[in-house]
Amino acid sequence: MGEAELRSVDRVGWVGGRARRSESPFAEAVHRLRKSTTALIGVGIVVLLVLVAIFADALAPQSPIASNQAQTFQRPSWEHPLGTDQLGRDMLSRIIYGTRISLAVGVSSVLLALFVGVPFGMIAGFYGGRIDTGIMRVMDLILAFPIYLLAIILMVMFTPTAGLIGTMKVTGAIAIVRIPIYARLVRGSVLSIKEKEFIEACRALGVRDYSILFRHVLPNCLAPIIVTTTLGIATSIIVEATLSFLGLGTQPPTPSWGWDLKANIAFIQANAWLSLFPGLAIFVTVLGFNLFGDGLRDALDPRLK
Amino acid sequence: MRTYILRRLLQIVPTVLGITFVVFLMMRSVPGDPVVSLLGDAYTEEDAIKARAEFGLDKPIVVQYVIWLGKLVRGDWGASILTGRPVLQDVMIRLPVTLELIMLSMAVALVIAIPAGIIGALRQNTWADYSATTVAMIGVSIPEFFIGVLLLLVFSIGLGGFLPSSGWVYLPGTCPTMVCGSSLWGNVTHVLMPAFALGVGRAALLTRLLRASMLEVIRTEYVTTARAKGLAERPVVFKHALKNALIPTVTVMGLQVGFLIGGAIVVETLFAMPGLGTFGIDAIIARDYQQVQGFALITALAFVVINLLVDLTYTFLDPRIRYS
Repeated sequence: MGEAELRSVDRVGWVGGRARRSESPFAEAVHRLRKSTTALIGVGIVVLLVLVAIFADALAPQSPIASNQAQTFQRPSWEHPLGTDQLGRDMLSRIIYGTRISLAVGVSSVLLALFVGVPFGMIAGFYGGRIDTGIMRVMDLILAFPIYLLAIILMVMFTPTAGLIGTMKVTGAIAIVRIPIYARLVRGSVLSIKEKEFIEACRALGVRDYSILFRHVLPNCLAPIIVTTTLGIATSIIVEATLSFLGLGTQPPTPSWGWDLKANIAFIQANAWLSLFPGLAIFVTVLGFNLFGDGLRDALDPRLK
Repeated sequence: MRTYILRRLLQIVPTVLGITFVVFLMMRSVPGDPVVSLLGDAYTEEDAIKARAEFGLDKPIVVQYVIWLGKLVRGDWGASILTGRPVLQDVMIRLPVTLELIMLSMAVALVIAIPAGIIGALRQNTWADYSATTVAMIGVSIPEFFIGVLLLLVFSIGLGGFLPSSGWVYLPGTCPTMVCGSSLWGNVTHVLMPAFALGVGRAALLTRLLRASMLEVIRTEYVTTARAKGLAERPVVFKHALKNALIPTVTVMGLQVGFLIGGAIVVETLFAMPGLGTFGIDAIIARDYQQVQGFALITALAFVVINLLVDLTYTFLDPRIRYS
């Protein structure tokens, strides 16, 4: 968990920046975001990676899983810009296709956690009492686990496999670990928002509960959710790479950066680049989301500088 | 204070029970069981049933858990199904390795983060601040194992084996059995790279956090007052500002323990260290139920005890925080 996520978890009632003049808070946040060079670099990296993932078929010079016994351990050359691995597979193609796994797991695990965690947090905070205690006890139990221990056991339970199913298993495992982060974050915000006068006004007008929750409470706790999500993608990508590194991620032949890095450590003495490139790919991806998330946080909450 | 600590110590019990029970349930629902790997090629259905009965694996899960718990309160952590070795003994042999790794990496993190965070905040928007924040940003974005690989490339391979790439030599006096090698120099060379690999990421995280909270604190009125009454910059920074700025940092350090335990699994795997991390992952993959329980137990204990220590640190940093 990045520290910004932790801060937003702690920050009860963290409501987005107030609008000055006639500009909407959203327009103002975008304006602030555009002024930050580092945030723009982050956005640039993220957009580039998304494009690479979408157009992997067109960009990759070769198949990422086609082995070629005649061309093992080729040094970087025109034909293989990043060399080939022990099975003669083109490293550049593996890295390009690896973007798909990394981004898919990073983004979808966080979204899955969000769609489960946010409603739980809202219900717990809004209704309080026994419902609150019940939900939060379960969340606390998940949080009481060192997250890697939980993710590792979940992956062993799901039995790692290759391909789409394998990727979905990793996504699920990471999502489960991250649900309580959203539940706690949203519960905290809801607790403070529900005491505000406009909620009381809604109640007095006879607005239904779910409509209060989704139309009045939720928009007011969106800022921390957005920031946590962006930074959470960075964390999830690291967790995915780590699980792959431990051999518990998406299984080969599906290209995954963590797995490639681990598999090539055995040959690090003579072929260092084989471990370097997947590592660099992970680093750049995580950096992109971190820069973007940092920029977003500064833009959405001007009090934090 | 004493009642508070006592109450907190009592609260450890349900947490540890919760974690070990959930791990127990989860491991039992993992496809395959240790008997299959125990019997290996000689596997027959008949032998498997006999072996399951021998280890009590044929009983209902809750009964198995209660049996495990019953043995535990008598100090018996059970024995590995695959090797037959007592789990407690294995845990004790591996504990010093991981403990040293985690403590040293935390020390690395603090030694880097405290000065970097202070300088970043005091010299805000200068080149010193920019370089500290940039390096910290890079640091939080690199996974531990990649830092480890980079260190390996430089210090093991680049410098012709200056630091050993794998294995372990115990610190003199920490070796729990008669057979392990121990020497101070050997220990230092083996622990340096893993400790940095694990510590650098935490250092980056804490730097960013400390810088942010220092920035908040040095703008408060009491710091202005301290300066106005003519106090030198050093006591203002260290006695007044830093102590308060450290509170969120300490909280996060406590929360990071979970990550350090996970990071230890990764770093120990990379550097082939005989620590608890490799013990745990091997046990989980081999489905050695007893060893996994031992690993979950020691992890849960470490987790809650460190969180208690973190809470107690608050009273030192801010005497207004009192527990009763």
